[in-house]
Amino acid sequence: MDLDTLLSYQWGGMLPEFIIIITATLLSLLDLFLPKDKDRKLLAWIGLAGIVAALLVLFTQMGDPIVTILNDTYRLDSFSKAFKLILLVGTAFVFLLSMDYSRHDIEHRGEFYYLFLTALLGAMMMASSADIITLFVGLELLSISSYILAGLKKKNMNSNEAAFKYVVNGGISTAVILFGMSYIYGFTGETNLFNIQAALQGPLVAENSFLIIFAFFLLFIGLSFKIATAPFHMWAPDVYQGAPTPVTAFLSIVSKTAGFVIILRTILTIFISAPGLAVVHDAGINTEPLLVSIQPYISVLAMLTMIIGNAIAIRQHNIKRMLAYSSVAHAGYLLVPLASLSALVFEATWFYLIAYLFMTLGAFAVVQHVAAEEKSEEIHAFSGLMKRSPLLALSMSVFLLSLAGIPLTAGFVGKYEIFMSALGTAQQHYILAAVMIGTTIISYFYYFNIMVQMFFRPGNPVLHKRRIPAGVSFVLVLCIIGTIGFGILPGIPLDFIQQNFNFNEFFAQP
Amino acid sequence: MVSSAWLIPVFPLLSFVLLLLFRPVKERAAGIGIVLSGLSFFLAAGVLFAQFQTGNTLTEATWLTIGSTDITMGLEINPLNALMLVIVTLVSFLVHIYSRGYMAEDDRMTMFFAYLGLFTFSMAGLVISPNLLQLYIFWELVGACSFLLIGFYYYKAEAKAAAKKAFIVTRVGDVGLFIGMLLLFWQVGSFEFDAIFSAVEEGAVEGTTLTLIAILVFIGAMGKSGQFPLHTWLPDAMEGPTPVSALIHAATMVAAGVYLVAAMFPLFEASPAAMTTIAVVGGITAIFAATIGLVQNDIKRVLAYSTVSQLGYMMLALGSAGYVAGVFHLMTHAFFKALLFLAAGSVIHAVHTQNIKEMGGLWKRLNVTGTLFLIGSLAISGVPLFSGFFSKDEILLAAYSDGRYVLFALGIITAFLTAFYVFRLFFLVFMGDQKRPATVTKINESPKVMLFPMVVLGVLAVVSGYVNTTWFGTFLGDWLATGPYDVVHEHGEGAWWIPWLASLLAIGGIALAWLMYAEKKISHDWLSKTMPGVHQLLFKKYYIDEAYDNSLVRGTTVFSYFWHYFDKFIVEGIVAFAVGAVRRVGKAGANVQSGQVQTYGAVAFAGLVAVMVILALTGGYFG
Repeated sequence: MDLDTLLSYQWGGMLPEFIIIITATLLSLLDLFLPKDKDRKLLAWIGLAGIVAALLVLFTQMGDPIVTILNDTYRLDSFSKAFKLILLVGTAFVFLLSMDYSRHDIEHRGEFYYLFLTALLGAMMMASSADIITLFVGLELLSISSYILAGLKKKNMNSNEAAFKYVVNGGISTAVILFGMSYIYGFTGETNLFNIQAALQGPLVAENSFLIIFAFFLLFIGLSFKIATAPFHMWAPDVYQGAPTPVTAFLSIVSKTAGFVIILRTILTIFISAPGLAVVHDAGINTEPLLVSIQPYISVLAMLTMIIGNAIAIRQHNIKRMLAYSSVAHAGYLLVPLASLSALVFEATWFYLIAYLFMTLGAFAVVQHVAAEEKSEEIHAFSGLMKRSPLLALSMSVFLLSLAGIPLTAGFVGKYEIFMSALGTAQQHYILAAVMIGTTIISYFYYFNIMVQMFFRPGNPVLHKRRIPAGVSFVLVLCIIGTIGFGILPGIPLDFIQQNFNFNEFFAQP
Repeated sequence: MVSSAWLIPVFPLLSFVLLLLFRPVKERAAGIGIVLSGLSFFLAAGVLFAQFQTGNTLTEATWLTIGSTDITMGLEINPLNALMLVIVTLVSFLVHIYSRGYMAEDDRMTMFFAYLGLFTFSMAGLVISPNLLQLYIFWELVGACSFLLIGFYYYKAEAKAAAKKAFIVTRVGDVGLFIGMLLLFWQVGSFEFDAIFSAVEEGAVEGTTLTLIAILVFIGAMGKSGQFPLHTWLPDAMEGPTPVSALIHAATMVAAGVYLVAAMFPLFEASPAAMTTIAVVGGITAIFAATIGLVQNDIKRVLAYSTVSQLGYMMLALGSAGYVAGVFHLMTHAFFKALLFLAAGSVIHAVHTQNIKEMGGLWKRLNVTGTLFLIGSLAISGVPLFSGFFSKDEILLAAYSDGRYVLFALGIITAFLTAFYVFRLFFLVFMGDQKRPATVTKINESPKVMLFPMVVLGVLAVVSGYVNTTWFGTFLGDWLATGPYDVVHEHGEGAWWIPWLASLLAIGGIALAWLMYAEKKISHDWLSKTMPGVHQLLFKKYYIDEAYDNSLVRGTTVFSYFWHYFDKFIVEGIVAFAVGAVRRVGKAGANVQSGQVQTYGAVAFAGLVAVMVILALTGGYFG
């Protein structure tokens, strides 16, 4: 590749990534040269500015045609823009939370900030790659940064344990993913997703369709680690509980979004026209498409995830652990559009992730503040919150109601969309929808239990009364606006998707 | 002026919100309530006069879009609801002032005024509704306010029971209205009155269905307006404070049923069967309640039965195509009945009892109240020159010219009975020997703040009849005929003898009462001596309450016991099982979550292997 080809690429498409990488580098250099006793809050502001700049650039890119760079390894289409939006907004909120996170717990503030940025960079690369090698690199960049972030409370045993478990389980999942990818490469000799897609229609593949399905499940189950769904969900509670709260928020929102991005990207591109199981019927033997063959399996995994997440959450006493199981359950809901192969899979997933972003981040913001005041992450810490600080209690109620999917909140609209996507396909998925409703009802127990604590239990004596920090209150306000606003006027985000993102680009050959 | 009509319900709502949020002290609460309801009244009066110039207006905005159907909310100003607005806000304003004196010693006066505000808001919202759905929402709201106010003295068991009864019995009617509304929407595809009327006019709704819908809507009106057999709640509702009885259970809310029939008149007109139903129910209610009123001893209950009877009159008028007559009587009745209730309240305020057997000779002590009560009595009896004379005359004419001679005869008899029982009340309370309950030491006239509203109503009870007379012109009738739909407004000529007959009977009734209760020429226990059975039957209100208790109430109780046990053992069993299952899953899951990182990896592997094996087995790859 000579310089001319290199220069002929539309590098502008990668501008948001460039901004993030430059900011991350800048932060690490600043951290190195700034005196040790100097406050690192400046770094947070620079990082935040970088994210906002990347967001602004992303907005200017809306509506542009597809950009592909470097032999189609980098691909910027509506799908990547839509999901990068969630990744960037989510990380910006996490930054606001981390600025006010206890200085006592994390001494290495500089690392704290630029590791978020490198993780974000990995996630963004996952959103706009069309090559399994770059996808894998992006995935690992996100994962390795997250492993360190989980253990940043160096003197805290729980945090260390969380990091350790995260690394080990992440290693297993990476191995499984690579094993699956190696099968795919072995069959096709290609790494580009679209070339693989074409190659999978060849006769060699048709004769060995079982191995392709095998490769599919290796890939899917390996990737399910990132979104914490069954059977790869068990790390989540321990890691969420042990990690610093902003990191937990990052894992449950940004990392999970990236997981869904890579799952949708690989599965729907690679396997869209791959052959699946043989079906015997009157006219003879036919081969059904792979995506149809695996539908029942993904449905069962989604249902298991919903049941496990919601049922175990009831028994939790630690609020972060409870939210971890709740996030497992939400990942189960998010698998429903994929499992039902709805035509609206992108819209439904995107909307739910946006709603999930607002309500979960809001909840974590409240948790962070209450935990700092009460020096406890137990659910009892919320007792009598209504008396201590009514605004905080009311905001938490809004987020919990939205997580539970009560009407007039974004969570309801998101669930409704997913629900309709399960029933809107030619073959209607009643069982999936029924399990979704049943487990949603189960979730009322533990969400409302917190509200019972806040409103009806006598309060704890105020130990460390703190003013709500600016960052936290800013996140709270935005999340409340998002949660209630999108709940009452769901037309705004839905129209926004309609106007700016043409998800058909996803399938357009380069 | 008309464009700011939306403020009419907003002022009382504001009063409700302010009183509820800030809980001001008693006097200030009354002040806020009086000022805001007064503003509402003056605005309503302005809208009424503006309506003469601008004609009918309709403002609406889309509230919800369901599929391709827009559901709108808005407000409409036509003669009927402009008139209703004035009646509602005026009586409400006067009752607010009156309550300042009447409720002065009650600790929960702030809440009382808050409820009054909420009620006025709901009632004003009801009458400006341009569609059935909005009307229904406010219809339920006034029901809720009525419930709150009847049960205002919630520490009295009777008040609690009465509030519950009012809510449940009117609910029976509301279900009818609700089903009728849904059927109508199903047939017409709109809740708008205009759309409904034009669909009915074009014959878009088939005959039997139309009759069914009309009767269902009328059942709603029956519940609200206490028509037989759904009247039982209204006399019991007298457990509420007397100003409430005047405002809600005499002048405004109970007239909502009559208003509903008037507002949807084209729908009823299109179905002769429905019209006959209305007329018959109205006629029966009129005479039925009047006979009960003859023998009751509680001053408010007598007035309550007279309200039921007068509402029956209005229904009789509407059913006999006497649209103007019905609305006219609604207006005059609102004034003289509110007056009678407020005067009764003034008496109760003075003697602290409601039993007329314990009263007597109060004329000297309470001469202002007495005079006003007399005016009200003359008006309701239909004595010439008073308002009731003109409106009752219209009703009788309507029934006669519609050819409903039996109902006409019932109406005539009722006129006689009405005059008799109202003057029985008057003579027992104000004439004869001075009596007073042992607990009351001194009987004083009520304060001015209570007398003033009564004086205003007293004037209206006399003059309000002159807006529609054969002598000076039928202004009200001509104006109402400019409503949003065509109303047949013909004055039954020819039957010149009806006013004479009615007046004669009214004076006869008064004379009989005078002979029995003032002169005592005729023994007043004549009926209970000669026909004890009949007296007992009337005194026990035809045993309707007992019949309901023994049939419907007991039946429902038995039925509910069955479902109670069904719920307790079968439904709760299933629920307990489901809860237990969820618990067990949670426990098992939490136990697997041991903290051992090996387990986590193993579970992931096991899951992967399980998927593969099942796939291989079902896919037929292992042979």
